[in-house]
Amino acid sequence: MVHPVQSALQISSLLLSFSLGNCLCLPRVLSMSGEEEENAAELKIGDEFLKAKCLMNCEVSLILEHKYEQLQQMSDDPLNQVSQVFEKSLQYVKRFSRYKNPDAVRQVREILSRYQLAEFELCVLGNLCPETVEEAIAMVPSIKKRGRALDDEAIEKMLNDLSLIKRFE
Amino acid sequence: MFLKVQLSWNVIISAEDLDAKGLMLQRSIITRLLDDFACKKATKDLGYFSAVTTLDSIGEGKVRQHSGDVLFPVVFSGITFKLFQGEILDGVVYNVLKHGVFLRCGPAEKVYLSNQMMVDYKYVPGENPIFLNNKLSKIGKDVTVRFMVIGTKWLEEEREFQALVSLEGDSLGPIS
Repeated sequence: MVHPVQSALQISSLLLSFSLGNCLCLPRVLSMSGEEEENAAELKIGDEFLKAKCLMNCEVSLILEHKYEQLQQMSDDPLNQVSQVFEKSLQYVKRFSRYKNPDAVRQVREILSRYQLAEFELCVLGNLCPETVEEAIAMVPSIKKRGRALDDEAIEKMLNDLSLIKRFE
Repeated sequence: MFLKVQLSWNVIISAEDLDAKGLMLQRSIITRLLDDFACKKATKDLGYFSAVTTLDSIGEGKVRQHSGDVLFPVVFSGITFKLFQGEILDGVVYNVLKHGVFLRCGPAEKVYLSNQMMVDYKYVPGENPIFLNNKLSKIGKDVTVRFMVIGTKWLEEEREFQALVSLEGDSLGPIS
């Protein structure tokens, strides 16, 4: 892979984002206790990740596409200036984003945030877009566990609200 | 799953690049950071390093005694991709072999679906081999498949992950 040369615009955009003192906690090295085996189906993904911010494919798509567009403006060969990981990530999220419009993307997160979901669960639902309550439970089994199980009615309402967004995109 | 992370890295600026002041120095630090980020590729804990999104702070530089280089602690935000055991995701088949298929999922390439994990499907050899079940559902090159991750392995030398996935479960399998 060609060593990426960073365009002036990419650097400038980072400079603009430069703001002092964010108080988010820095991720420490992950350590899961010996007995607790990782299992996303039960939301056993490590405390660090339970608190981490997860992003839906459509959210990542907006971010990476924007970055790529900036590079396209500055260079004839934008693909040469990004890493393979960036390229493959971009390709993937473009293909697997159910929502393309930024307002729709915002609405999806807003709607899903109204239900008592962990970030991880929210994003899996936003990515896989289950159509029925059974599908939703199959995709994210943990929503029926952990002592604050979502009842079927709530899940149904959530899916209905989501389906409304798709129609008006 | 894509994660938004905040990281604190030390960026090393060599003595030659230190003549620059103010904005030029910041640019050198950012360039260095972006290069380091791209070269790092992935870590066991955070997964694949997709992109740097914001620069949050640059701390005071510390001179390294012997080289004259200066070390700057930089806090920044970025996006990473990690496969979690038990997670359900979509991937695309790119290689069909007798005992299973390989899929791409995000930046991960070594995602393997063994024939033992798609019990109803049988291998059909040919110029374009596929796996087929009795309902004529096909798993072949370029097909999108929804799977569950049953295990992952970090390969230190290659700086990448291997994943084993399965179709045993509701709503899993090829999707159109």
